[in-house]
This record gives sequence, C-alpha cells and structure tokens, in this order.
Amino acid sequence: MRGSGGAVSGVVVHLPRGSGGADGGEPHGDAVTLRLGPGEVARFGRGSMAIPVELRLADRAISRLAGEIRVTDDHWQLTNHSTTHSYLVENPEGAGEYLRVPPRRVGAPIPFEFSRVVLPTRGDVTISFQVFAPDHLYLDPDAMGVPWGNSTVTAYSLNETATYFLVLVALCEPRLRDQSRVAVPTTPQIVERLREHPTCGALTARAVSSHIDYLAEEKLRIGGPDSHEPDRRNGKREEIVGLALRFGLVREEHLVLLPPPAAAGGRERQAAR
Amino acid sequence: MRPPHGAGGTAEHDRTDLLPPGYQVGDWVVTHRIGSGGWSTVYAARPADGRPDGTGGTATPPGLADVALKIMPTAGLAPRQTRRIVESARREVELGRRAGHPRLIGLLESLVLSAPDRPSLEGAIVLVMERAAGSLRELVDAGVPEADRGRLIAGICEGLAHLHRSGWVHADLKPENVLLGRDHSVKLSDFGLATELTGTHGYAPPMGTLDYFPPERWRAPLGELGVRVRPTADIWALGIVIHEVFASGRSPFAGATSVARGAAVQEYGEGRAPLRMDHAVPPFWRALAADCLAPTHDARAPHTAESLLARIAAHQARPQAGSGRLGGRARTAALATALCGIAGAALYSDAVRTTSAASPGREDAPTPGTIRVYNAEQDCRERVDRNPRCSLGLAIDPMLPYTAENVVPTRVWHGDVLTADCQMAGGEPIIDEEDRRSTRWFRVRLPAGSEPPTAWLPAVRTRERSALLDCH
Repeated sequence: MRGSGGAVSGVVVHLPRGSGGADGGEPHGDAVTLRLGPGEVARFGRGSMAIPVELRLADRAISRLAGEIRVTDDHWQLTNHSTTHSYLVENPEGAGEYLRVPPRRVGAPIPFEFSRVVLPTRGDVTISFQVFAPDHLYLDPDAMGVPWGNSTVTAYSLNETATYFLVLVALCEPRLRDQSRVAVPTTPQIVERLREHPTCGALTARAVSSHIDYLAEEKLRIGGPDSHEPDRRNGKREEIVGLALRFGLVREEHLVLLPPPAAAGGRERQAAR
Repeated sequence: MRPPHGAGGTAEHDRTDLLPPGYQVGDWVVTHRIGSGGWSTVYAARPADGRPDGTGGTATPPGLADVALKIMPTAGLAPRQTRRIVESARREVELGRRAGHPRLIGLLESLVLSAPDRPSLEGAIVLVMERAAGSLRELVDAGVPEADRGRLIAGICEGLAHLHRSGWVHADLKPENVLLGRDHSVKLSDFGLATELTGTHGYAPPMGTLDYFPPERWRAPLGELGVRVRPTADIWALGIVIHEVFASGRSPFAGATSVARGAAVQEYGEGRAPLRMDHAVPPFWRALAADCLAPTHDARAPHTAESLLARIAAHQARPQAGSGRLGGRARTAALATALCGIAGAALYSDAVRTTSAASPGREDAPTPGTIRVYNAEQDCRERVDRNPRCSLGLAIDPMLPYTAENVVPTRVWHGDVLTADCQMAGGEPIIDEEDRRSTRWFRVRLPAGSEPPTAWLPAVRTRERSALLDCH
C-alpha cells in the first residue's frame, strides 16, 4: 500500500462517495481518502487486474490508467496518461482559478493548497476528486524583510487568505474581542457570523465543519494520530482556539477579515429566528 | 545561501528601529550592528565610559569586555505577540542562570530599554551577552579549515552534552547558533526555543529551522504546551551540522529549498529513501553523522551527546589520528587530552560501542561489519537509561543451549552498534518475544580486555541483514 495511515504530512486525496466503486458501471462506491507522503505516488483510473490503481474512478469513458499523482516537496505533480483529454485542476477557493494539464503531460506541478481534479466523461457529469496539500509554508509576518533561508520559522503556518483561516478567526473572535473565557462559537453561529462576507457568505454548516476538521487534523495536527475519538468534537474547537491564540496564529489585526459585527443585540435576534 | 552576518546594508530592510553607533543602552554603548533575526537585532557594544571594569561580580578580563546586545522590540505589538517575545527572553535568561557552561554563550544581564526618543524601541527587551567573534555559519561559508573540523564538532557535542545533562533541549541547533570565540572556541547560543525537560521530553514553541527538523518533527502534533521535543532532536540537528562542516555547507538531504530537503528527510524517515552522505565526509565522521541521523527517535536515543563525545575522544586519541591529513596533529592530541575526563566517565556505559567506534574499521582488509541491536520489547526500545531489565545477553558458545552459564558478563541494549566479525547459520535456535525464530548467530567483539574477546549475538536480536562472511 502506498498511502499510510495517521497524521502524516504530504497530501490528502479525497474521492467523494459515488465516484468510485466496483468496475462495470456500478456507480456507488464509498468515499475514499488516501494519504501520500513525499515521494509517494497514487495512480487513478478505471483500473483492472493488470493495471491496479489506488484511486478507482468508475466511468467507462475513463481509461484503465488515467493519471498519476506524485507528492514532491510541499506540493504534488499530476501526470496525464490520456492521449486525447486534458484534465482540469481547479482551485475551489481561487475564484475560478484553474490549470489545464494537457494529454500526456508528465509531472505538471500543482501550486494550489486545495485542488479539484476534473476528468471529462461522455455524459454531462464530470468525475472529480479533491487533493489537499496542507504543507504549504508561509513566512512569519514579523520576520518579513529578512532574507529567507536558514531562519527560524513558525512550523504551523497558515494561509491567511484561505477560507479555513476565516473560519478560524470567527472561532477566535469572542476571545479576541473581550479576552474572556467565553464559549467558542458553534458551527451554526459561525455560519451566521460569516453570512455577510462578500465571498464566503454561502458557507454551509457542513463546509464550516470540514474546515474545522482540516485545521485540527492537517494544519495543527491536534492531539496526534491516537486521539481520534468521536466524542472529542467540542473539545477540539476549544483546543484549536486555544492553540491559535496562544501561539499567535490568529491576532487582533485579523478581526478585519470578518464582516462588520452585527449591531448590539444581533445574537439575540439570531437566537429568536 | 544566506549572506554572512553584517552583510546586506540596512537599506534593503528599511528598518527605522535601528540604533546608531554611540547609542547608550544601560551601561553599554553600541558600536555596530551584527545582524537581524526574525524578531531581534543584535549589536556589538562596549562598556560605557566611567563604568567600572568588570560586570558586577564577574571578573571581566580587559579586552573581553565587549558584549553583544540582543534587542527584541515589543512596541506596537499586540499583547499576545509581546508575550511570545517575553517568553523567548525568559527561556534565555532562565537557561543562562541555571545552566551556564564554557560551551554556552554567557548571559551577563537582561534589561528593558527605556528610549523615549525612539518609540519603536521603547520597552524593548535587551539581553546582554558575551561577545563572539563570529558564527559557524560564516566559517562554513568560508570553508572550515580541515584541522579545526573535529575540534569544532567536539565543542558542539560538549555544549549539547552539558545542556542535556542539565535537563534542557536546545531545539534550534544550526551553524548560525554556534558562535565562535576569537580562539575559535565553540559557544552555543540562541536559547529562545530552549526547553527544560520534564521527564523524557519538553515542549518548545511551534518554531524552528526547517533544515534541522528530524523526521518525526514534520508530523508532530501541536499541543497546548507547544510541540514535543526531546534531546534526540538536537542530536539529529548535530548530524546535519557535522555533514555541513565536512561537505562545504551541504545538507545530506538533496533539494533546492529547505522545504524540498524537508520532504527528502521525510522520505528517508519513512524508509523510502536511503541516507546519501557526501563522500567528502571522512568515514569516522560519516559513521558518527549516520548515527545522529538515525531515522527515528528510538534509533537515535542511544547516541547521546555524551556517547558521541566519547567516540570522538577515542577517535582523536588513536595514534594514527590525524595521519593522512595535513597538520592539526598537535592540536588533536591536546583536544584528546582535554576530553579524557569526559570520555572516561561515559565509557562505562558505552564500552561495547566505543570499541566498535575506536576500531579503525573500514581501513582493515577483511572489513568487519557493524550490527545494531534490536529489542523486540517496545517499552525497552523507548528507554535510553540502559535499564538492566532491558539488557540483552551474548552467548559464549552458539552451539550450546542459551542458558545463564553460557552468557558473557557484557550486556547490550537496544540501539547499540556492535562490531561483528562473521556469522554462522546452524547454531542453537533462538525465538524472540515476537516469535521470530533463527539459528543464525553473529560473532561480535567485546570491549578490549574482555575474556573471551568475542561473544555471539542471536540474529533475532537485530533487524539488519548483514553481508558478513561465514565464520571459520
């Protein structure tokens, strides 16, 4: 097996439920998640006994071996085994930003932290899967203007333009504003708080939850691989907020990323709805 | 590569918070800027006129009174950022107060800057430190003289051994933080991430320098107290530094950027890539660096700074030490003498390994191999204290039943590296705690003076497949 379990750095490949599954036209496979460390490869395609793939895509239009993902440095490369079709790699947080990987291209480097790889099919629906590259590194804000090389950096750096960061700021907001030990907001409260945001106003509760999971598991690697008990969900949010504030990952200056706070009494109004 | 300290004018940084020469800070007068880091700037300074010679109780010999001022501004920062800087300064002060040593840069005093004329520096924290002549990074960039290399590494080892013995982990060892006195004496510095151990590990702020992160650090979880660090993290960084010193500053891990080299470290740590060291690193130092760069904490744990120091001392003390190299012989001999006391103290726990390291090894015609001892009991693999319960035996005769009468007094522990002469396939069968069974045995050398001079290690006690010749 090429992927290994546990919170290993590298990339995470996620195939949603219903895209994979058994060969021969049965379209409802379970969701698949693969973790790949640096240097590891995952092949994708329809697969067969002779051409095994790590990521099986059940569509007749997709070849047995459609492509390969290879993790290198802090990013990944896409090889397109198709002789006729380009693959699209979209950045779901990039306002339409995408890359086109032409047929037979070997090892095209993919710069996005979040990617959706889209493969054409004969029908109207495309097949896609997601690739996350959480190891991207960002310089410390207070270390700017100093040559980057052998400097000491924060090892858990965050992309302050990413949606997960916005969610994190919203999680930290009550404590940043009054520094008291008020409760960390719930997912519905976050959804409500971000509703007026120009680009992230439509975030669903499910999306907010998965951003929180991504922060906990891939960015901060809270608790390590042994502590994935399902009943720690509330503790996890508290922990994320505690760490983000303690280590200065979220600071007062980040509050401007949030929509202007509702007028006094906003909370009560929401609660009444 | 990074420009040497002091290079690169202030213009590129466009900093308004720099102090001009002549500026007085406490009892000190700034002479020039040495360099800037992430959140601090270091200046050279001399005692202000009229200041009595000697800093408080410390008798400061004339000429050595020059100091370095590490200035960490706090003005304009949010309380939480200030806390981080205060925390970093606290670590330095605490360590300086409790673990002073000739191999650690001395902290003379700490103060808070009052600079009403410079609002950006008002309230800055100032650490007044012993002044060094340069850093190992500058020396590595310029090329470390061959005769100095072993001595420098021994010096770093001494500093680390002292830190670890005192219960601290440096957590940011790199050539930039290895300072050199005018006589090229080694002084470890920058204890902003240094962490006091509680039990087997401590917690450091989630910061560090990517090129010196051990494999386990790349997937370390962030906890409430920070990231868990153990002395083996410093040992890993030491392995990288050893390689850099001998290989003109190159890391043993390939890649154009530190992120790429970090990926190579992870591939190696997960067993998907071998360790490829530069051939410029001589065999003894390559073996030493390889032990420092063992891929896991467990495998690195037996190689304490103290045991590495003992190996270096034994190496330098060999009659042929320095032969084949030009110069440096007298210096090496002096170093070996200086190290004797330390080496002697460490040898008792390290007898078997030291023998293997001291044997000239590779140059001999029938190359004896080395094998690393493996203990099938996991909790023994995690211990580094050579607990008797975790010791493993060596047989006198592999053809006789493996009983108490058939065992030599010398014991070995997980991670020990033994010198093996040869192997035999048809001995007494041994089954280990994991039900692995083997009739293969390795003949290993015992410490000098042991009777018999060799003994037999059952093959189930190592995970390495050896290419040793058959015995006879």
